[in-house]
Amino acid sequence: MAHVDLASARIWRGAPQAVAACVAVVALAFVAPAEGYYLNILMQAVTYAIAVSGLVVVLGYCGQISIAQAAFFGIGAYGVAIGTGDFGLGFVPSLLMGVAAAGLLGLILGLGSLRLGGHYLAMVTISFQQIMTLFATNWISFTHGPDGIRDIPRPTILGVSFANGHAFLALCLVCLVFSTLAIWRLKTGRLGRAMQAVRDNELAAGTCGINVFGTKVMAFGMSAVMGGVGGGLFASGFQYISPDQFTFGESIVLLTMALLGGVQSPFGSLVGTVVLVLLPEWLRFLKQIYLAVYGAAVILIMVFLPDGLWGLMLDRVIRRSKPIVGDVSPLPLLSEQGAETDEIVLKVEGLAKHFGGVKALDGVDLAVRRGSVHALIGPNGSGKSTFINVVTGLYRPTSGTVTFAGTDITHAAPHLRNRAGLARTYQNIRVFRGMTVLENVMVGAERPGNDIAENPAQVVDRALAALDFVGLRADAHRQVGALSYGHQRYVEIARGLAASPQTLLLDEPAAGLNLTEKHELGALLRRLKGHGLTILIIDHDMNLVEQVADHITVLNFGRRIADGTPSVVLANPDVIAAYLGEPRREAA
Amino acid sequence: MLITRRTTILGTALAAATPLRFARGAEETIKIGGIVPVTGPAAEAGRFMQNGAAMALEAINAKGGVLGKKMEWVTEDDATTNPGAVLGFSRLVSRGDCVAYTGSIRSTQVQAIAPDVLKAAKPVMFGGTNTGLTAAGNPWLFRCRPNDSYSGRVIADFGAKTLAKKKWAIVHSTDAFGSGGMQSLVENLEKMGIKPVLVQGYTNQQTDFTPVVLAVKSAEPDVIGSYFTFENDLGIFARQLRQLGVQAPWVGSPSIINTTALNLAGRSLFGTYGIADYTPDSSPEAGTYAADYTKRYKAAPDNQSTWIYDGLMILARAMNDAKSTEPQAVRKAIIAIKGFKGTEGTYNFDEKGDGLRGYNVVKNEAGKIVFDKHIEFND
Amino acid sequence: MAIFLQLLFTGLGIGAIYALVALGFVLLIRAASVVNFGQGQFSMVGAYLLVVCFNVLGLPYLLSMLIAVILMAGFGVLFAGATYWPLRHRGGLPVIISTIGASIFLENIVLVLYGPSPEVLPGLFDSPGIQVGPVFMDSQYLSILVSATLLVILQYVIFEKTLLGKKLQATSQDKEMASLLGIPVAMMILITFAYSAALGGLAGMLVAPVLFVSVGMGGLIALKAFAANIIGGYGSIPGAILGGLALGVAETMGASYISVPYKDAFAFFMLLMFLMVRPQGLFGEKISEKA
Repeated sequence: MAHVDLASARIWRGAPQAVAACVAVVALAFVAPAEGYYLNILMQAVTYAIAVSGLVVVLGYCGQISIAQAAFFGIGAYGVAIGTGDFGLGFVPSLLMGVAAAGLLGLILGLGSLRLGGHYLAMVTISFQQIMTLFATNWISFTHGPDGIRDIPRPTILGVSFANGHAFLALCLVCLVFSTLAIWRLKTGRLGRAMQAVRDNELAAGTCGINVFGTKVMAFGMSAVMGGVGGGLFASGFQYISPDQFTFGESIVLLTMALLGGVQSPFGSLVGTVVLVLLPEWLRFLKQIYLAVYGAAVILIMVFLPDGLWGLMLDRVIRRSKPIVGDVSPLPLLSEQGAETDEIVLKVEGLAKHFGGVKALDGVDLAVRRGSVHALIGPNGSGKSTFINVVTGLYRPTSGTVTFAGTDITHAAPHLRNRAGLARTYQNIRVFRGMTVLENVMVGAERPGNDIAENPAQVVDRALAALDFVGLRADAHRQVGALSYGHQRYVEIARGLAASPQTLLLDEPAAGLNLTEKHELGALLRRLKGHGLTILIIDHDMNLVEQVADHITVLNFGRRIADGTPSVVLANPDVIAAYLGEPRREAA
Repeated sequence: MLITRRTTILGTALAAATPLRFARGAEETIKIGGIVPVTGPAAEAGRFMQNGAAMALEAINAKGGVLGKKMEWVTEDDATTNPGAVLGFSRLVSRGDCVAYTGSIRSTQVQAIAPDVLKAAKPVMFGGTNTGLTAAGNPWLFRCRPNDSYSGRVIADFGAKTLAKKKWAIVHSTDAFGSGGMQSLVENLEKMGIKPVLVQGYTNQQTDFTPVVLAVKSAEPDVIGSYFTFENDLGIFARQLRQLGVQAPWVGSPSIINTTALNLAGRSLFGTYGIADYTPDSSPEAGTYAADYTKRYKAAPDNQSTWIYDGLMILARAMNDAKSTEPQAVRKAIIAIKGFKGTEGTYNFDEKGDGLRGYNVVKNEAGKIVFDKHIEFND
Repeated sequence: MAIFLQLLFTGLGIGAIYALVALGFVLLIRAASVVNFGQGQFSMVGAYLLVVCFNVLGLPYLLSMLIAVILMAGFGVLFAGATYWPLRHRGGLPVIISTIGASIFLENIVLVLYGPSPEVLPGLFDSPGIQVGPVFMDSQYLSILVSATLLVILQYVIFEKTLLGKKLQATSQDKEMASLLGIPVAMMILITFAYSAALGGLAGMLVAPVLFVSVGMGGLIALKAFAANIIGGYGSIPGAILGGLALGVAETMGASYISVPYKDAFAFFMLLMFLMVRPQGLFGEKISEKA
């Protein structure tokens, strides 16, 4: 059972801080001036900050650019304005209506991320932003057009009136506290980790059981909801809205706020928002040139503060250096001291993959027995990597079938194959670079279908056990990018092990390792073999393969040229010809 | 000093960042706060506005100022945006030493600051022409230009009666100003039994107006009425209208005769009519102002500077009449003003806060703006 | 039919402007994988340089254009030094943001230096245009169409027939390989920035007599040009040109036959449709990532 106590696993984590922060902000709201400049500027900063925290989710966590946050902000604002004014609804139902509309459109926009990323997505969101502005301006019967909507009421909730400036500011601040804490907690939760995994490496995220597309859509939806909440409060706070407050330019401002503060944390986005709301105010003395200074500041921030102001502040403090002590439960696979059986776990029949006229795979058969270590070898260009990519669902096969644990998975998405128990590593290491070693492995442990996936404490426990197994427990809290190449490979293997897979696919694990590291890897693989884990290893390091393989399949030019026990296969003249006939090059 | 104490408690970056100007020292001048577009698309208008205000202050202070003190106009940038106007205005209110304010010539900005105006409870002179601004019952808003109901009425009256044209095509921006004006024009034409053959809106900042021009051309109107917000749009439309051979008389909203538009569109606007709240040769006051302005700034004045000039003059007059800067007293004094001859026309304030009820119609004669007639309504 | 032909001509004229700006986009995308949100401001700065040379200094028109184009090339290098160079190893997003910052900076610095009042520039020809049957052909649109055609031919010749062009192409296809072959990659990228800025500036100068010279003129065109880029096929040169023309015609027709106020929406709806149905655009390659 779990003996470790990790902050991120506690359910009530942040609750005391939330209460304290609420009390503090309510107190702050009531000592702030009731009307006028400071109230307006605080109200603007707070409502914007809620919207900007949405960008932390979609851009910071999930890595998807969205230049439409002002549109969602506007949808929330119009929800409140139209709901209270034209539909005669109360504030809360109006806000919910606006937020729901924003969230729904956010999900739809997220659908655009199905096939598109980067600048395409930027353009999709810009288009959405522009179209929303045109509707707000021209659909006069619904939005009241360019005149805007005035006299938007402030609410009375549960008998408490928020008409007064202090009270409404307090309400906004409490919302901000909750949104900030919720998004802060999200980051270290399962969904947040999934988003970051998608951001850092979509392919690896997919083969770790994460529904990449669904996660992105979710991030867009959540971001839009935050935008809507901020906008709804904004409308009621300023009591007047018009379409020109929610334009493309405002979206850019919101985006800049997030980036300036640091898009990896809602605290960062909060800092960024406050600074950018205040900056033009501070720069007022510059008169005409203040916007020019603002533009130049954006460039300087990008150049000199890559992690934003918050990142800069965090760099000054040593973070999370405490090692996690305590015992962990052993990996379940370690207790299954099973020997090789005759049951076939992974069965591939007639698998073909053609790229245009090139037949990378041309009718390959292969059967992996439970508890065995099966090696797939072949010279460079023989189709090994294509094989593993087709088996794990990254490529669609031209023909043939893949059966895993009795189920046909030929056409299943990568994350569904992982859920069935198929884990893999990559030849070119695909770790999640923005995350710590432990978080990387937790993503593996959290694969849907894993026995402990639903219990946060046991996920940590399992991840630590996997790190223990590969000898990296001491590095659990380091950023994965800070590790050596060899150790990053171990992180990948630990990620696979933590998923308690039925079969682990190792794609050229020795590639790029030095001699010492190769020795260590050999030892690790023998230990795994000793514990009876089913492994399909792809490599062309004969030495390594001979040490561990129970069964070898040889590919050349996309075809199987040999299959059998090591002694039989390695004596096969075709195999010798294939290997000696071609120069053996290490693919790095 | 309540605000100051609270601000100290608030204590954080806010207070440190924006040094409050303390109310002390306010004894020396009578301060009027004003929001001005220093940045953003209306920055140019902001410059004209500052010129007009400077001239008003000079005139007021030369005649002994207000209640024996000099009048001073303190400003904040509104960045030509609504949130900018709200912040700028509330910053002025926070100073605590302004006895009255000047607002914006842009209706949506006035709309945006209206809730804060109500809370500040001090007179605000503004130039936005959206009819609803004074009709909404806010007692502190005073308009120094004729509102849109009169612009539409004057265009309709001039086109249908003076020019005797019945087949109208109306082109308007879909923003607040343009659609408000269009509605007023359509209503007033309908009162005369005329239904326009074309009402065509466009979105601001276009690269091309061919579709609009072709729509106008195929409607075959004998007169065009227009509400353009930005001079670039007007310039492109005017050029393409003439290129595609539409020669019908054209009566436009004030932007058609402003300096920038004349410069951009050149020959294309020759022969058009415009309505103007300010025309140099419409009255002696307007003429004197134009002469002074041109002497000082080497440029022709337009309505961007005259409304604020009049607004400050009216405030000075009202405060001197009331012998006080107490807001209610000033408000009463403004409403009591009748027959005040300003640069924009003769002000007769009503309870709602509207001071002017008519427009000048002017003609563009080969690039020169010539006063044609003044049309005034009494209701 | 007369209306249709008139719309077609205007649409092509507007489209040619989008195409010219889109061309500048494409080159940077290909050479440096940079999505430059300051591309529109290149046009704005170019037009202002022409105003300075022609209206203020009183130089002959064509000489003024030449000087402005040369200055723009230098400006492009400066721009690269400020927004791209320090961030070149940090992926696409930081560069996108810094070019957005640069666009805000440029607009406002020009506003300070030159004031907000729009400027008027005469066209290349004194005549406003010619009447061909039912269609009035604006002389400046004709100039733009002709210039765009010439530039496309020139670009083809430079890229396909000269050593410099081959080096530029090699750089855009595979920087590592190009570097191994001894091509000075950094220099090639800077040349691309210079060329892109000159092209953007020229587009601004050509369009100035139509749209007037104002601080906001570039932003107006750049978003559409970027849309044209994606419609045509991201990173494709013929795509940028055809995408620009298609967009110009589509929005002009859409405005006339469907709705004028929603005119700008057509460009973006068209873009969204393409992104959903055919994300690779008219001429683009399939988007895929290798494992």
